[in-house]
Parts: sequence; structure tokens; C-alpha cells
Amino acid sequence: MTTLEQLSKILVKNYKIDPARLTLDGPLAELGIDSLGMAELLFFIEDEFKVQLPFDPVALPTLGDAVCYIDRLLAAQNATEKSTIAGVVPPASPHPPA
Amino acid sequence: MRRVAVTGIGIISPLGNSIAEALSNATAGRSAICRIDEPWCRRLVSPLAARVAFNGDEHFAPPKLRMLDRVSQFAVVAARQAIADAAVDIAITDRQRIGVFLGTGMGGSQTTDDGYQTLYAEQSDRIKPFTILMGMTNAPAAWIGIEYGVTGPNLTYSTACSSSAVAIGEAWMRLRQGDLDIAIAGGAEAPLSFGALKAWEALHTLASEDPTNPSSSCKPFAKNRSGMVLGEGAAVVVLEEWERAIKRGATIHGELIGYGVVTDAAHITRPTVDGQAAAMRAALKAAACATVSIDNINAHGTGTQVNDAVETAAIKEVFGDVAYSIPISATKAIHGHLLGASGAIEFALALLAMQRDVLLPTMHLEVAAEDCDLDYVPNCARHNVKISTFMSNSFAFGGTNAVLVGRSTE
Repeated sequence: MTTLEQLSKILVKNYKIDPARLTLDGPLAELGIDSLGMAELLFFIEDEFKVQLPFDPVALPTLGDAVCYIDRLLAAQNATEKSTIAGVVPPASPHPPA
Repeated sequence: MRRVAVTGIGIISPLGNSIAEALSNATAGRSAICRIDEPWCRRLVSPLAARVAFNGDEHFAPPKLRMLDRVSQFAVVAARQAIADAAVDIAITDRQRIGVFLGTGMGGSQTTDDGYQTLYAEQSDRIKPFTILMGMTNAPAAWIGIEYGVTGPNLTYSTACSSSAVAIGEAWMRLRQGDLDIAIAGGAEAPLSFGALKAWEALHTLASEDPTNPSSSCKPFAKNRSGMVLGEGAAVVVLEEWERAIKRGATIHGELIGYGVVTDAAHITRPTVDGQAAAMRAALKAAACATVSIDNINAHGTGTQVNDAVETAAIKEVFGDVAYSIPISATKAIHGHLLGASGAIEFALALLAMQRDVLLPTMHLEVAAEDCDLDYVPNCARHNVKISTFMSNSFAFGGTNAVLVGRSTE
């Protein structure tokens, strides 16, 4: 399952959003998820993708931004796990998109 | 001082989710109290409650619903009903001259309970991000204000079981003084979580289950009364400055003419005759109303040993011999104790009953207790009774006694 498909699953299940409205360039605010709603969506993302997000707030205006953000975090997490296994000091957390 | 009209009423309650349904069931004495059967109910001594048939999905878009504890859902939908009933156009009103006054005892207690479940029972640190905003006590009032863009005072009163009577009374004072033109006032409560039920049980105030008919377990003023049954719901009224209501041709349910609030300052749970009597006297004084003018009292009438005896004594203290001729209705017998929403739903029911010339019954009252010797309208409503003025009593743990007095428009 792709990141977009996994994220769409959350949005359909928890926010009852019509899958036809889920496009990469669609603003999340238009789906009813404002900056406050984003706090909860990030919580679900942590659970769904088994990834720990940085504590600082992050702005993700569109679904595409969210997908890129998750992919970057997953890549960083994978690199960390590999480095840790190899006994290398883990890299810093990824920078959130602007 | 300005006069205050009640131009709108909204009810989400165990007796029904409209004023017509709730009044019909209250008049017929149909109890909404029943056994509840979640798995955790096995750990309750008396698994009884009065629930609201309510599905938030029918009232809110999913992203918004996720931010609303059940108590806020009740409050907002009751407010929508009341505003629709008042047919008041808030958009063309100076919204700084409108206030929201809401009472709740336990706020978003279900959310708090869920958080504890996660943290302590599941030993997880995954507390939901909306826990604070769903659980905070002022959330129900805030959501009403946001929905209608009301920018006047948005105030939440938490004085346990008198919360919403206080909210309505404090709103009345603001309107009367001319600070506001409209108030959306009432109360909401959703306390039927496992944690809240267990906590009330631990206090030994809840009724034991009637062995033959669980729905009759709450028996205000009866010899065999054993306590209260928790209920949930919300009731909201639209209060409006009288001349404004008349000018716009509003349908007026009645007039709120008096409010008294007096505190026991004696014991955290045990009520006092003096405190309750003083609150009733204060309300009568504010209403400029003689004791002989009261045609009906909606009692606090919880069904606990202490409350019903003390309330009866307090009514006798205030009304003297007149007390024996005033019909008293205790509707908690059938809608349960809505805690912070009780005062509002009881005021609303008393007002609606007055409009329809009905004295609401006190159900499950086969034999009255010796120290409860007034006319409690036992078990059967009385019809075609002219009611001009009524009193609604709300007393509370913490000792804040609040009394409202309403009058017919006729």
C-alpha cells in the first residue's frame, strides 16, 4: 500500500471523507482539517505508519505535502535504524517542510 | 428593570429530543430510566441510567464531531432547537448584546474517562490530542458561541446540580439590568461513563434497583426511596428582553420573573433547610411574588433520603400552611438526575406544562414518607389546571441553592 493509500484510509475512516475528494494538491483545510485538526491527523499518522513525529508543529497545507512529509520521515527512520544496527551515530531528525 | 421573556426552548433528554416529545412523556409519566448493559456494568451495584437516544453523526460533520464530547453535542443541538423555536435572527442582531450562559457539573467527563483508560488501564502514553478541548468544562458554551458568532459574554457555571439554574438566573440578571438583549442559557451533562457512575456509586447516593421494575427505581418523596439515578442531556432556553420580543412578534412561552441564589456554607453534601428556604424566599422577593401566587413547584426532588426531607421542610418553612395546597412535581423520577443540566430541563418542563395547563406527576410514589407530607401530584398528571406562576428548585453539593420563578403570559 502506498503512503497516499494509507493516508487516504485514515481520512476516509476517521473523517468520513469521500475518497473521490482526496487529491494530492487538494488543501486539507477544504476537507475540514484545519491547523487544530492537523494535530489529531498527525497523531493518527504516527499510529498508522509506526513513526514518531518531531514534537514541533508542522504545516502541511495539502495531502501531497503530508505524503512527502511522511515519506521523508520514514526514510529518515529507516536510515536511523540501519545506522544504529551498524553502530553508527543516528542522523538528526528531518526538517519539516515550510 | 426590564422584563425577560422566554422565547425559545430546546431539549435533548432521556424523555425525548424535542419539546413536544419530552413534555408528552413527562405528562404521561413514562420513565426513561432503565438498566444499562455495557460489559463494565457488571461492576456497578445498580446498573441504572436515563440515556438520551442521540447520534452525533446526524448533527455534525465528521471533522467537527471529532472535537465534541457528548456533552457539547447535546448543548449545541439543544441550542439550535431553542434558537429555531425562538425564530430569532441572530445574524441581524448586535451579537455583542447576546450572551451564552451554560451550566454543567462534570463537563466532558467521558473524554476524561477515556484519557484515564488510555493512560492507566492500557498503560499507553497515546492520549488523544483533543482531550483538553473536549474535556474542558466551558467547551459546550464555547461551541454554541462559535456556531452563532455570539460575541457577548460566554460564561460557564459549575455549581454541581444547580449549575444550569444558576446559568439561567445569571443570564436573567444581565437582561434585566440592560446589559444584554438576548441570552442563550441552560445546561448540559453527559456523565454516564464508567468512571463517573462508579464515583457516584461510591458516594452512596444512587438508587438501588427496583426488583420488579427497574424504570421505577427513582422514587422522590416516597417512603421506600433509595436515591437518585443519573441521567444525561441538555436543555437550553432563549431569554429575550420583553419589549424586543413583543416588537418582533415572537411567540413567548412565558416570563422569567425571579431568581434567588443562596449558599448553605455548612456542609459539602448535606443540604440545609435554612439555605434552601432562603433561596426560595430570595427568588420570591426578586419576583415580587407572594407565596400564595405560586401554583406549582418543580422540586429538586432527587429521591435521596436527605434531599427530599430537607426540601419538604424548606418548602413548609417558606410557604407555611400554604405549602399543603401547592402541587409539587418531581420529574427526576423519570428523566433521572441530569446534574448540571437538571435545573434547565426542569425549568423548561415546568414552563411547558404551565402553557398547557398541566401539573406534571411525581412518579413511583406509592406511599409518601412521613416527613414528606405535601401534595406531590403522585403518579398521575392533572389536566386543565390553570397555572399562572411556578417555582423551580435546584440545590447542589457545595451548597449553592438556586431557584427560578416563571409566569404565564396570560
